[in-house]
Amino acid sequence: MKNRLRVLRAELDWSQAELADRLGVSRQTVNAIETGKYDPSLPLAFSLARTFKRRIEEIFDEADSASGEGSSAKAAP
Amino acid sequence: MSDAPPDQDPAQAPVEPLYTHPASPFTRTESSLPLQVGGMPSPPPAPAQSTWITYRTQIEIGLALLAYMMFLVGSVTVLRANPDASWRYIVALVPIAPAVMVLFLFVRRLGQLDELQKRIQTEAFGFSLGATALITFAYGFLEGAGMPHLNWTYILPLMAIFWGVSTAVFTFRYR
Repeated sequence: MKNRLRVLRAELDWSQAELADRLGVSRQTVNAIETGKYDPSLPLAFSLARTFKRRIEEIFDEADSASGEGSSAKAAP
Repeated sequence: MSDAPPDQDPAQAPVEPLYTHPASPFTRTESSLPLQVGGMPSPPPAPAQSTWITYRTQIEIGLALLAYMMFLVGSVTVLRANPDASWRYIVALVPIAPAVMVLFLFVRRLGQLDELQKRIQTEAFGFSLGATALITFAYGFLEGAGMPHLNWTYILPLMAIFWGVSTAVFTFRYR
């Protein structure tokens, strides 16, 4: 799943390690989410949204990514 | 600053730092920070983390393994000196005590992992279990065909090797 994590993080001038500290996860996890190789769980996605003060939809794009790792059912309107 | 009064002497106006964050692609156009004259900006404080906090589990497991090896050598030494003692079975099990400590520390560490690390460990454990089963079954068939019998204690090191290698491989996959 594509996401704007790297851009949002750069806007705040945070390192991956700093964001990982704020989220309570490892830097490796932040990197894997940024590169689209890992889709976070719902609680972690909400933590990201709270950290960046944005809605989840503003951070993650449900359009298909190349990896398709952990792809979940799309929310029906 | 650009919003300074027009009658102000330009020489007295504060100098705007052009590149407050030269490493960032997002150049800041204004800064509320006061200009520091005659001194370098202080570096960010070092994270208040000690070696103990960062490597606590590794240190504890290392100490428990050290205790295990010491107990093992002591147990074997005592058993060789007293091969017919009635308490030999109890002494033979003494090294299990620090091994239980290793198990406790290991499980505690697993509970502290984040969700991606837990996924990596699940994949690594699954692979090591399957690969060990494959190897041991294959050798079991070879034993049936006449190969020498191997001790069961080889199974755990084999599984540990597969676990370590697969952890590295699966970790690399998420980089």
